[in-house]
Amino acid sequence: MESLRKNISNLFLNRIALKVVCILLMLTTGSLHAAVEIQSGKSIYDVSCSGCHAAGVLEAPKLGSQTDWDAREKQGFDVLQKHALKGFKNMPAKGGNPALKDSEIVNAIKYMLAQSGFEQYKDKPLSKTKTKPAKKSAPKKIAKVKLKPSKNIRTSSANRFNRLMKPASELNLAPAKDGLHDPENEGTLLLQPPKQAFELLSSAKSGNRVDWVKSLENKEIFPRYDRLSDEIKPVVMDLNIVREVKGSMPNVVYPHKQHTEWLDCSNCHPAIFIPQKGANQISMASILLGQQCGVCHGKVAFPVSECRKCHSQKKNLKTGNK
Amino acid sequence: MSFRLNIPVFLLVSSIFYPAISQAEYGDVLINNYSDEAGMRPVVFPHWFHRIRFRCKVCHADLGFKFEAGGNEINMLKIIDGEYCGACHNGEVAWSVENCDVCHSGKPGTPTQVHHSTTSKLFTLSSKKSKGDK
Ligand code: HEC
Ligand code: HEC
Ligand code: HEC
Ligand code: HEC
Ligand code: HEC
Ligand code: HEC
Ligand code: HEC
Repeated sequence: MESLRKNISNLFLNRIALKVVCILLMLTTGSLHAAVEIQSGKSIYDVSCSGCHAAGVLEAPKLGSQTDWDAREKQGFDVLQKHALKGFKNMPAKGGNPALKDSEIVNAIKYMLAQSGFEQYKDKPLSKTKTKPAKKSAPKKIAKVKLKPSKNIRTSSANRFNRLMKPASELNLAPAKDGLHDPENEGTLLLQPPKQAFELLSSAKSGNRVDWVKSLENKEIFPRYDRLSDEIKPVVMDLNIVREVKGSMPNVVYPHKQHTEWLDCSNCHPAIFIPQKGANQISMASILLGQQCGVCHGKVAFPVSECRKCHSQKKNLKTGNK
Repeated sequence: MSFRLNIPVFLLVSSIFYPAISQAEYGDVLINNYSDEAGMRPVVFPHWFHRIRFRCKVCHADLGFKFEAGGNEINMLKIIDGEYCGACHNGEVAWSVENCDVCHSGKPGTPTQVHHSTTSKLFTLSSKKSKGDK
């Protein structure tokens, strides 16, 4: 028991230590104001620019490479801005995304420059300005901004609206920022940021924030059923199995249709489920522990928090209405 | 009965809101049976990226990947002989194995895991819970 307790407090300390590191990191990257602005430049970059600028497609200057950007930066910010807005050789106007606002493009350029070793762009105010050498007053600014209560900065407020839930800006992060991939690794920069792919798909509230069933139905994606061929179609079986649930929770409807779109019969039968209605004891407890439906749901298929997707059949409760 | 039911549901509800340390994509699998020991970064396998291109069946039925992170004992010999990742990362279906650091892209020292899996969250919390019980 003693050792368990120790483990737990270690775990807790680790969490705190991590938070402290995070706060320190935020403070050292410059003023908090700039951090917010860079963030939005970053999200524009992740979605609209990284496709070419992460790997240097069509000889685009690469994010993180000062040599690629050096001569371009010397042209002055106004020129860069004009080229990015109006297009320049292989660089399409607004990166090919006309819906973006001019100020968003400006932020994205600053983000790219800042990430490529041009520290001065971390501090720039939002309006378009001539390239002047950066003010060197960063430390003072940090102190000032830190004292100001701010709605947007996670770390600055004990009474943040969502204390435990992740803010949207922390979802679907680019690989280099997600804490799992090593940002020092060159290959990491070649990986596709999830947002870029998911923008085009039907969205959901949890998991990848993609509704994979709808995305498939609406032909937003074309996953192969065969390693080598686009032509082979899945054998879809439309058979619902209703599992009655005691208490107030709606009954579970297990649909073979959506599953056989993705999976083979042998993925479930007989290892996970005996193919006979009612032959399997299924409970929420085992699902949460990663068995039965939980082999996939809560890991790759939509997470267990989506109660309604499984518990979808209304029943007539004897007491009360609905 | 109600005992069996309440504990997991309680754990589940709290686990959903529990801040995870890593913000990696749901379903990313980090595989590290051998990589760290061999001085390579561990491998990150992105489910979301592959399921846009293939149904689960292709890997989990045709190619024989078991549903278990780290459970397939994949190594480079199997890969260059066309098994597991090597069934596609062979220069024909997808880019070939010489791009080591596109697969070996995880933070060194990270143990094998599936990102945001309910079970991994539950285990953390169950140990907390037992503390409260005592
Ligand atoms: C389709 C690929 C592609 C996309 C998407 C793209 N760029 Fe570019 N970009 C290029 C290429 C190629 C160049 C190099 C052009 C040249 O000098 O030949 C470039 C150059 C630039 C330059 C330097 C221009 C100069 O004068 O040297 C800036 C700034 C820039 N891009 C900003 C952006 C921003 C901001 C976005 C996202 C909103 C974006 N790019 C998206 C391909 C792209
Ligand atoms: C059924 C075929 C198949 C298998 C098996 C497979 N991959 Fe892939 N993988 C692909 C294809 C196709 C691409 C996209 C290639 C491209 O963009 O040119 C890809 C891309 C990737 C990417 C890059 C994702 C990005 O952001 O561009 C990584 C990383 C990757 N695979 C890792 C793996 C690992 C690790 C394994 C084995 C555990 C594996 N793959 C097994 C087909 C497969
Ligand atoms: C994702 C998992 C999964 C897949 C894939 C799957 N099944 Fe099932 N199957 C189930 C579950 C769950 C039940 C219900 C078992 C129970 O009620 O105990 C079931 C029940 C059945 C039954 C019994 C029906 C009855 O009325 O008794 C048959 C037959 C069956 N499946 C055939 C198939 C065939 C054929 C395929 C492939 C085309 C397939 N299943 C694919 C999960 C799956
Ligand atoms: C072998 C993996 C696997 C198992 C086991 C499994 N599922 Fe699924 N399920 C999937 C996948 C993949 C999808 C497609 C949607 C997604 O990935 O989010 C899906 C989709 C569904 C859907 C459709 C949701 C919609 O939007 O239409 C329901 C309902 C569902 N599962 C319920 C269950 C239930 C209940 C069980 C247990 C009896 C179960 N699943 C077991 C993999 C699985
Ligand atoms: C992947 C599908 C799935 C999801 C998501 C899901 N359930 Fe269930 N649930 C089941 C199945 C299957 C059963 C077993 C039904 C039976 O007895 O045959 C079940 C049973 C239950 C029961 C009855 C007691 C028990 O443990 O068997 C309760 C209560 C319950 N679920 C609550 C929830 C709540 C609350 C959520 C959302 C947080 C949820 N479920 C999400 C599939 C699911
Ligand atoms: C398609 C993805 C992929 C690529 C590309 C790849 N690997 Fe691996 N590699 C893996 C996987 C998966 C494992 C198993 C990881 C584990 O369990 O630690 C592995 C394991 C290893 C191991 C330890 C096990 C063994 O076989 O000795 C070494 C060393 C290794 N890789 C080196 C390399 C080198 C060097 C390259 C480039 C020439 C490379 N890998 C490219 C996926 C890949
Ligand atoms: C391109 C190949 C590929 C595709 C497609 C794929 N997977 Fe996987 N899956 C893997 C690999 C690789 C692993 C990790 C195996 C290992 O570490 O040995 C894995 C692991 C898993 C696991 C085990 C997680 C755990 O509990 O440890 C589940 C569940 C899973 N996949 C479900 C799915 C579902 C559902 C789909 C379809 C929506 C799918 N996979 C599509 C390759 C694939």
